[in-house]
Amino acid sequence: MMASGKQWLIRYRYWWLVLGITVLLPLMMRSGTLATEVLIYAMAAMACNLLLGYTGLLSFGQGIFFGLGSYAVGLALTRFGGLPMPVALLGAAVTGALAAGLVGWFSIRQRGTYFVMLTLAFAQMFYFIAYTAPGLTGGDNGLLDIPRPSIAIGGHALIDLTSSWGFYGFVAVLFLIVFALVLRVTESVLGRTLLAIRDNEERALAVGYNVRAFKLLAFVISGAVTGLAGALHAMLTGIAPLANIDYHASEMILIMTVIGGTSNIFASVLGAAFYVLLADWLSTLWPRWLMLLGFLLIAVSLFMQRGLWGLGASVATRLRGVRSAAATQEERA
Amino acid sequence: MNVYLLQVINGVGIGMLYFLLAVGLSIVFGLLRFVNFAHGAFYALGAYLCFQALQFGLNFWAALVLAPVLIGALAWLTEKVMLRYVYAQPHEFHILITVGLALAIQELIIVGWGPLGVDVPPPDVLQGVVMWGDFVYPKYRLFVIGFTALLAMALWWLLEGTRIGSAVRAGSESTEMVSLLGINVFRLFSLMFALGAGTAAIAGVLAAPIRGAEPFMGVEALGVAFIVVVVGGMGSFAGALVGGLLVGVVQSLMSTLWPEGARLMIYVAMAAVLLLRPHGLLGRG
Repeated sequence: MMASGKQWLIRYRYWWLVLGITVLLPLMMRSGTLATEVLIYAMAAMACNLLLGYTGLLSFGQGIFFGLGSYAVGLALTRFGGLPMPVALLGAAVTGALAAGLVGWFSIRQRGTYFVMLTLAFAQMFYFIAYTAPGLTGGDNGLLDIPRPSIAIGGHALIDLTSSWGFYGFVAVLFLIVFALVLRVTESVLGRTLLAIRDNEERALAVGYNVRAFKLLAFVISGAVTGLAGALHAMLTGIAPLANIDYHASEMILIMTVIGGTSNIFASVLGAAFYVLLADWLSTLWPRWLMLLGFLLIAVSLFMQRGLWGLGASVATRLRGVRSAAATQEERA
Repeated sequence: MNVYLLQVINGVGIGMLYFLLAVGLSIVFGLLRFVNFAHGAFYALGAYLCFQALQFGLNFWAALVLAPVLIGALAWLTEKVMLRYVYAQPHEFHILITVGLALAIQELIIVGWGPLGVDVPPPDVLQGVVMWGDFVYPKYRLFVIGFTALLAMALWWLLEGTRIGSAVRAGSESTEMVSLLGINVFRLFSLMFALGAGTAAIAGVLAAPIRGAEPFMGVEALGVAFIVVVVGGMGSFAGALVGGLLVGVVQSLMSTLWPEGARLMIYVAMAAVLLLRPHGLLGRG
């Protein structure tokens, strides 16, 4: 029976890790806002990883969907007489998906570096659109005073989200749902097909897959999740600033994803947690902490190409190797 | 004088700067399929070195020579000590390492010169305007057009008329074939990387009296350079020229018609070109 218990542990390993993180964050941290931010960026990084790690598409435009999600939820909650929150969040996800469909449709016509440059150009384009439409986006100031309505059924408030830990709980539930969905996608036939495209596009094409349609689908899923993350971020901070749709938003999401590692979805959660917590700590030490981040990126690309997850995995293998070597020595003795 | 004619000339000036910005990126990419996200940072650093040279009491002309030499040397060094170790990796690591480098340079600029922008005056000789009949135009902007045109010709000669140039062009067709012929491709690449950074620095120095220098100008420039190479066709000298001029003129004309949307329109132009010609105007299919 021990063996099946262990199998169970291994089979659902990502689930244990994710549940562990959502439970540990409130126990270890004093700031609910920071803990919530970790989960929000973890969603965005997972969505980025779905493209980078599973489809082989390096998108420099994730900030587009993040920012549009922020604007969508801001508009939905402050204008139109204040739509119900679930509708607003759904709207943000749909906005992200539509934008991803549009950007993806253009960008996947190109491959490799061309594709990366196109997504970056689109990121700049959407930034200027947001900048030139202050009626919708508030321009430089962003959308202000975005509320965090309670979850209510029939006018009775059930759960209050105004406290930072209350909101954390809400985001944690959404995070687990999104994690389940993304994990399901990666383990499904769709996920395997995306991997096949990543590994060898010509082969996938030759076998008869509609490579473009699959890439576009991956983009749309990624855009929806990123849009939702952006919406939650706007609700967390109460504003939808221009910074959420900026080049640096795209850059940040990509950096989290690469630092975590692209071999599995949980690595992105790790990357987001590492980035958010490191940024929070470093920025109190030195306002120019981004310079250290720059050096960190150089170091990661030179020495730690499989990310934090890869680092952990190789350390674990080495430890196991040492232990089994010690065991054989004992046996010999 | 016709306002549109004026804007077209302005556009040619800006476009030549964009060409200078994009051509280095394009050559470096052509040779080793290496995309340099730190290219904009070299441009920003060029503008700041121009400012610093004037602070030290040197003149603009000294800056125009010193900045590309210093930044070319810096680029050569970074290529030697770190960039070449990721060539064999997938392209996300090329991007990641140069993004890191760009971030580090941007923050170094803020540490050195502060987060706010600085103004750079044009050199004394080039202050004021020229007048031919009813044609009135700032001297400095005319100088930029003339100077960049000369540089473009020099670069064209370097690529088309010299041994190094033919190695570069052959290298962008097939790196392996060129190394089989006994040419040290890595040395060639170091050289071209330094040259690319140097041309970006010259663009920065020339742009400084027009638009000042600020720490985040590099990101904007990188975006523009990408558009130029996407529009013109990657790895093509003529493509960078055509793309740069097109983007400059579109931006300039739109700034009369719709000032808020001028920069937005260059992205629309890019999308239009890509729909019609996915590999850029002069790109090889």
